[in-house]
Amino acid sequence: MRLPDSVTGSFLVVLGAAAAYGGYILPPVPGQPVGPNVFPLVIGTGLALCGLAIVFGIGHSFEEEEELIPMEDGQAAAPPPQGRFYGLRALLPPALLLFYVFAADRLGFIITAAIMVYVTSTALGAKWKLALPLAALSPFAIHLIFGKLLRVPLPAGLLPTPW
Amino acid sequence: MLKTLIDAFALISTWEVIIAMFAASVYGLVIGSLPGLSATMATALLVPVTFYLSPIAAIATIVAASSMAIFSGDIPGALLRIPGTPASAAYADEAYAMTRKGQAELALGAGVWFSAVGGIAGVLSLMILAPPLAEIALSFSTFEYFWLALLGLMCATLVARSSPVKAIAGMFLGLLVSCIGIENPGGIPRFTFGITDLFGGIEPIPALVGVFAVAQVMRAMLTPEPPPLPRRKFGSIMAGQWKLTRKYHWQMTRGNIVGIIIGVLPGAGADMAAWVSYAMSKRFSKEKEKFGTGHVEGLVEAGASNNASIASGWVPSLLFGIPGDTIAAIAIGVLYMKGLNPGPTLFTEKASSMYAIYLMFIIANILMIPLGIAMIRVAAYILLAPRSTVMPIIMLCCAVGSFAIGNNMFGVVTVAAFGVIGYVMEANGYPVAAMVLGIVMGTMVEQAFVTSLIKSDGSILPFFERPVAAILAAMAIGALLWPVMVWVWRKVKPAQTAMATTR
Repeated sequence: MRLPDSVTGSFLVVLGAAAAYGGYILPPVPGQPVGPNVFPLVIGTGLALCGLAIVFGIGHSFEEEEELIPMEDGQAAAPPPQGRFYGLRALLPPALLLFYVFAADRLGFIITAAIMVYVTSTALGAKWKLALPLAALSPFAIHLIFGKLLRVPLPAGLLPTPW
Repeated sequence: MLKTLIDAFALISTWEVIIAMFAASVYGLVIGSLPGLSATMATALLVPVTFYLSPIAAIATIVAASSMAIFSGDIPGALLRIPGTPASAAYADEAYAMTRKGQAELALGAGVWFSAVGGIAGVLSLMILAPPLAEIALSFSTFEYFWLALLGLMCATLVARSSPVKAIAGMFLGLLVSCIGIENPGGIPRFTFGITDLFGGIEPIPALVGVFAVAQVMRAMLTPEPPPLPRRKFGSIMAGQWKLTRKYHWQMTRGNIVGIIIGVLPGAGADMAAWVSYAMSKRFSKEKEKFGTGHVEGLVEAGASNNASIASGWVPSLLFGIPGDTIAAIAIGVLYMKGLNPGPTLFTEKASSMYAIYLMFIIANILMIPLGIAMIRVAAYILLAPRSTVMPIIMLCCAVGSFAIGNNMFGVVTVAAFGVIGYVMEANGYPVAAMVLGIVMGTMVEQAFVTSLIKSDGSILPFFERPVAAILAAMAIGALLWPVMVWVWRKVKPAQTAMATTR
């Protein structure tokens, strides 16, 4: 996901300009010169200016010399990319969280959580001998802590817990 | 004074507080020792649990878990050369070199002992600094608060170990996130795009969990598993620590002081303290050549420093609601939730609660010694747990915890979104801590800014008229211009040297 500075910088310029414009068109408080529009205006402008500076590489020199320090420690070198879609694996956790949002009410906490655990565990390289028991047990443990002890109303769905 | 102290003792000597503290300590030690799970993440995942505890017990869990996690990050650092938390990264190489020389006990013992000493020094600074500062802060108007908040945000960008421009951009992003919702001077929906869930704004806690926990799981998806810890028998862990204390008492004190200063600075936390102290130790050492070959001196200073910063990070948090670091940012959220709204009056009206916080810090740091030793001995077994079992549990905790904050699913969406934002920012060199600070402080900055503007009737002059405001303004503007000055200076200097050589 390492993008060139010009891309992230341009994105910030657009976002900042949009924020400033969005602030500008907000209705003012009657009889008051400053209202909810001032802050987004200031921030949007600032963000756009920062974006411009990043596009033009200002401050880049700070980055190079500093990044040497954390990089040298033993954290094994970047893994060889395996296939074209290898990088997309990073999107799995947020995708699973969204899956939880949409499925938890229908399937219930236990089933949804078990699927999440199994998929995450397998994606991180666990064999089914490890992932399956983990997926079967950990939702109950979490439900015991959050649902039973802390009284978080977790959805029961298809499979209610024994307690 | 004595009465408040007795009251404070009464507050913390309930079973709830004692059990909460003990459990949070063990939790902090385990999470801190697992590579990739940072102290901030440990604390953020604790927040949903604190909802259901009494105010003092809630703060106890935060205090205990954060202090323990910072120490326990030293363990895999020393044994595997993989720091458990970023705060241990500065000296992981050094500690590992000591392990290879057969001095693992000494390195880990120094970690426990000087962490505890540093933590207690940090509490003392909190006890000494906070009350007089509260006196001064009572006379602050919105102008001072505005500059103070700005200074806090600028400090966060200055100390970030990346491009200051990107750090400032990260801060602006955070402030922009805080604009969402109807909690603004006009009370009108702002940047909500008609989505009802956005009316309440983005809660800082799910954002923090996303940025620190989900983003970490995302990174784990693409990085190889760290090697398992070789099992080994440890000798006496505390042997020789007293000798080290006597030999390096000056380094230890310097580490404590640097840690305290960095902790008080908004936005700069334990990892920064460790880097600065380690560098300082090397710079002023009489045996510079020994650094990097397994020399304990830097460990003493940096270990004393990172734990000192944890407690002193609470000074600006308690006084102004400006977090000293990301852990304190979470603590502020918990304080608000529990009716202990940060501010100078906290020290007069809720004095016994403040003393209770001091006491808990001291107890946590004393507790660190026996629990830390036990943790070192069982670390080999805990670190056997493969990542593929730990990360799924973290995911579940993220989902359930963020749901629990408001009992609605929008919290889970927020966590997922901020996981992606945090991951992309980190990958491109934008420091996420600056954004987090922006989110936490945004509402306060805006309030102080707009109220000041209304009071000054659009004029800019009153922002500088009061003496304290003028000083803070000068500091904030100086911090803003600092990167520019360095940049100009670097441009000018090569030109000058070039001229000198041609002459």
